[in-house]
Amino acid sequence: MEAVLFGHNRPDRAVTFDEYCAEGGFAALRRALAELSPAEVQQAVIDSGMRGRGGAGFPTGKKWSFVPRNLPGPRYLICNCDEMEPGTYKDRILLEKNPYLLVEGMALASYALGVQHAFVFIRRGYEQAARNLRRSVAEALSAGLLGDRILGSGFSLELDLHQSAGRYICGEETALMNALEGKRANPRAKPPFPAIKGLWGQPTVVNNVETLANIPAIISQGPAWWKGQGATPEAAGTKLFCVSGHVRQPHCMELPLGTSLGEIIDGPCRGMRPGSVFKACIPGGASTPYFTGEHWQVAMDFDPVAKAGSRLGTGGIVVFDQNTCMVAATLNLIRFFARESCGWCTPCREGLPFVRHTLEKIENGYGAADDIEILREHVHQLNYAFCALAPGAMGPLEGLLRLFEDELREHISARTCPFKTR
Amino acid sequence: MIPESLRHELQQRVAQAVTPREAAVDVLKELQAHYGWLSDEAVVEAAAILGLTPLQVEELATFYEMIYRRPVGRTVVHVCDSISCWAMGGETLLSQLEQRLGIMAGGTTADGALTLLPCSCLGNCGDGPALMVSEQLHGPVTLDSALKILGRF
Amino acid sequence: MPKLIIDNIAVEVPDGTSVLEAALSVGITIPHFCWHPALGKAGACRVCAVKILEGPVKGIQMSCMLPAQDGMVVSTGDGEAVALRKSVIEWLMINHPHDCPVCDEGGECQLQDFTIAGGHGIRRYDGKKRTHVNQYLGELIEHEMNRCIQCYRCARFYQEYAGGTDFGVLGRADMVYFGRQCDGPLESPFSGNLVDICPTGVFTDRTARFRARYWDYDMAPSLCPHCSLGCNTIPAARYRELLKVMARRNDAVNGWFICDRGRFGNAAVNAPRRPRQPLVDRQPVGWDQALDTLLGRLSEFLELHGPGSLAIVGSPRMSLEGNIMAARLRDLLGAGTICYFGSSKQSEPALEAANSLTPDTAASQADVRSADLIAIVGCDLLEQAPMMALAVRQAWRNGARIYAVDCDQTTSLYAGEVAPALSALPFSEAKQPVIIYGTDHKQPDSSDDAVRSGTKLAFILNGPNDFGCALLAREQGAVPLADALAGGKIKGLLSFEADLTTELPDAVRVLAACDWQPTQLMQRAEVALPATAWIEMEGTFVNNEGRAQRFRQVMPPGLPIRGLGPDGHPPREFRKTAPGSDILPGWRLIADIIERLEGERVDVPLSGRWQKLQGINAEDAGESVL
Ligand SMILES: Cc1cc2nc3c(=O)[nH]c(=O)nc-3n(C[C@H](O)[C@H](O)[C@H](O)COP(=O)(O)O)c2cc1C
Ligand code: SF4
Ligand code: SF4
Repeated sequence: MEAVLFGHNRPDRAVTFDEYCAEGGFAALRRALAELSPAEVQQAVIDSGMRGRGGAGFPTGKKWSFVPRNLPGPRYLICNCDEMEPGTYKDRILLEKNPYLLVEGMALASYALGVQHAFVFIRRGYEQAARNLRRSVAEALSAGLLGDRILGSGFSLELDLHQSAGRYICGEETALMNALEGKRANPRAKPPFPAIKGLWGQPTVVNNVETLANIPAIISQGPAWWKGQGATPEAAGTKLFCVSGHVRQPHCMELPLGTSLGEIIDGPCRGMRPGSVFKACIPGGASTPYFTGEHWQVAMDFDPVAKAGSRLGTGGIVVFDQNTCMVAATLNLIRFFARESCGWCTPCREGLPFVRHTLEKIENGYGAADDIEILREHVHQLNYAFCALAPGAMGPLEGLLRLFEDELREHISARTCPFKTR
Repeated sequence: MIPESLRHELQQRVAQAVTPREAAVDVLKELQAHYGWLSDEAVVEAAAILGLTPLQVEELATFYEMIYRRPVGRTVVHVCDSISCWAMGGETLLSQLEQRLGIMAGGTTADGALTLLPCSCLGNCGDGPALMVSEQLHGPVTLDSALKILGRF
Repeated sequence: MPKLIIDNIAVEVPDGTSVLEAALSVGITIPHFCWHPALGKAGACRVCAVKILEGPVKGIQMSCMLPAQDGMVVSTGDGEAVALRKSVIEWLMINHPHDCPVCDEGGECQLQDFTIAGGHGIRRYDGKKRTHVNQYLGELIEHEMNRCIQCYRCARFYQEYAGGTDFGVLGRADMVYFGRQCDGPLESPFSGNLVDICPTGVFTDRTARFRARYWDYDMAPSLCPHCSLGCNTIPAARYRELLKVMARRNDAVNGWFICDRGRFGNAAVNAPRRPRQPLVDRQPVGWDQALDTLLGRLSEFLELHGPGSLAIVGSPRMSLEGNIMAARLRDLLGAGTICYFGSSKQSEPALEAANSLTPDTAASQADVRSADLIAIVGCDLLEQAPMMALAVRQAWRNGARIYAVDCDQTTSLYAGEVAPALSALPFSEAKQPVIIYGTDHKQPDSSDDAVRSGTKLAFILNGPNDFGCALLAREQGAVPLADALAGGKIKGLLSFEADLTTELPDAVRVLAACDWQPTQLMQRAEVALPATAWIEMEGTFVNNEGRAQRFRQVMPPGLPIRGLGPDGHPPREFRKTAPGSDILPGWRLIADIIERLEGERVDVPLSGRWQKLQGINAEDAGESVL
């Protein structure tokens, strides 16, 4: 594999504009504006087999193709840099290391989609990333790579940064549009889908930072090359995996999509930290069901991970060792989701606190056998929430019930958390 | 009352936005930066700048994690309480900080210097347990290094 | 027109109908909280789950969010759907206080009904309940936030439907709060609808607090008497006291809502100063004595001055029946003058409406709601006809262009442009244009005619029966009271629920007045005859668009049991009938007088040309008189 996203990285600082340009940066944009039609850029993205890196893995080219070209009024592109899913920090690292990839990627995507006004929605707390982005936008503007009639072509693009004030739900694409419009960030009903009626009622594409940052390489190196960077024939491109928890060297790394879980932990992460034995992990951010040792060989790609009962999600891997109480871990996750619920729909707003309360009881030794039934019911019923937050929250709980039911029952029969007494 | 220059700057920001509401969160944050928190007075001022009613501003202000509708200390210490930091001892760190600062989570030190707030994932998961102090991420921290960052060692 | 099957019943509904509405159309009520016919879907409560067995989508679906489609087979009783509904109710009951015994909503609470329907009975959640601090929202509406089930109806109504900006949603997660930024009266003139629209007891009518249960109420379909629009209401009364007024659905007129004036402006019905007993020269007398005196003085008067100097005065406040009877009385007495309006300022708009509206051109509130261009001419809508302003807002929300001619339209309800004249407006581009004329508009100029082809018209009038009075006035050659008095010929009046708009010369005798309100004319009257208020009788009003609507008797007349004196007790006398219950509707009183004058006995005032209004059902949309 060749690094697609981290190739320009400097060890302890962001790459500069001049360095990026000297290493071939903005060549893709130059080439596209000179040689390719918007449809050709879109076709390259379709051919690359790129699946969105924001969590759902939706084919990017296909998403773009839903945007009607004949509606009056503006179209918008939004880069989703809300990244509040616990265990996920890849977009931050990417922007701290190299914001130009995103700027170039957004320019290319906007060109393909006929967008003249694009937004980066960035979470609170990513101050360095936001500063980098602001600087890179200014540099691109003065180099004629953004703004009016880019590089003398007929294509113009205004790129604005919108900094959030912090809520996980703002990352859900329709809630994000409400947040950007300055409304309460409740998700919107779908249909209508954003591609038809999005930001300010206009056709809108929402893509993740990592998704968009890959576009320059797809254009400059070609979709076939890009696709070939995966670890398996099915896996297209590279993936940023951001690892945290009980490994020796937690960090964010670029690896071929489809690298196995074991390879990630034993390779770049250099195994478990001293004294720790692998017990389980969250494979793709807080909303994905756990993996255990039996999943060591699973290729970290969308379909294989789904087949193994979880989701690739954001690629945020949180590793737990033998001393981790999985009930307590799940309780921590549920507390997060219950707090971050937007409060719109009943299952999430009321159901998550019910789950939290039930897990608290079990963890504190007051649980009863019936409580497991209550948890199981919620795993099923929260699927019928208004947006994907509540079903996502049930990911780890489903994993807990499927993989660690014994541990749950032990809490109940011992009337205490076994990890507290051990 | 905010200074005329800030008001002017914010009015400019609103004028550049696609709709005034688009600038709402920016305006709230700037007013919060000025007052330290989003006071009732600030809500009214924000409403005037945005062409909204105080209620409409309140609807937004009470939605977001990082908008404070109660007074906070001069420095707000955010302690991440989400899963990666939890795995790395975030809970212990928070309770140690509570003890050493003599305040409960959510509280402010008697000298008004520090407010301790547990918060959702800071996106610093690889470096847990993590803190955010004055918009700056720190991690991994220990009790000692955290106190050093806070100038309380 | 998709065809589908719901619980084995074949249903065909228009495109865009939701499965929930399709089910309702065949009498199947799927529990729902956030969905409301006037507010549409929100997808928030998740209680309307059904299972789709066949069709383009399958499995559990929210019936409010799902458009009915051809070939769907829907089960509302499927086990999985029932289980989800039960879960939703369980979730909602986690925090809902069990304070039904002291809650004014009890008995008229959707949450009670659907909790029972949902089959949730045994509490499994054993944690603490969430609590909130309530707000003072003014003297009219009580706030009890702990009861909230977060259906968002209130905020959606207040902000989206009614354009209010001082009430909304605060907080998030399980701490969402519906209220104002701080304590204080709600500012919207439609705030009272929160009481109707909240499916549980968060907003209750403070004026009726702790007074009665739903099953205690005397209720009947009625109408609002406060302006000319004829919005439909359900007043609730108990023990001869009006407790509160609720909105009643009429899709052609007010839709689902009423304004606060209609809801809260009815203290006059219970007012201690209300006339309750016949008076002769201000002295209480029995009915026979009062009417004998009236007849005696009337014949003296006629002998002395001749019938030409007598004016019979009806009123747009009075039912159509009463005004028809006034005309009969005039015929019988040969009185020189009949008046239906106080002044020409009142009569002119009504006559103009009666002269210009046709079945094709009359715009109902529903027409206004679906218009795509609205010109408001010479009218302060929010003041003269609040619900019409709300109708204009709905059109505006759907993209209609709003223009103001000869008036100012600064309101938070809609954004109107000021236009110099009707002729300047792009009527030809509009598919469903409407012109709303207020009472202050100048006479239409000649260029209006061109503008008007294909355009519907609405006239805002003054009283609930202006239109009916205009028809009668035309027929009877009536003159406004002020004009009649100015002519100097009038020496005596018989007045029925009429109001004075000018000084009444001392020389003019008010031989008798009949009213349920203590008006100036009642005070001047030699014989003052109390009458029933509209909610104590059955009758007909013709609204501004020429729609005759029936109101039914809500409660019997008489002194409220709660009493009106400072000791709060009715008279301590023992009798078979309730004190003050021997009063009659205005039209009946006139019929009595006619009978005593040896005229023909009338039991059915709506005869002759009015006959077609006899059969109006109060629960229907009404009957056009155009
Ligand atoms: C609760 C919730 C939070 C989300 N947060 C993010 C986020 O922080 N960043 C992101 O890119 N996508 C997030 N998503 C997914 C977005 O809705 C959307 O699918 C994604 O941005 C599309 O980008 P992609 O096609 O490039 O993957 C979230 C989804 C949900 C339901
Ligand atoms: S599941 Fe419902 S309450 Fe939860 S975030 Fe989504 S819309 Fe909001
Ligand atoms: S106050 Fe009533 S109407 Fe408003 S959200 Fe709560 S239950 Fe629904």
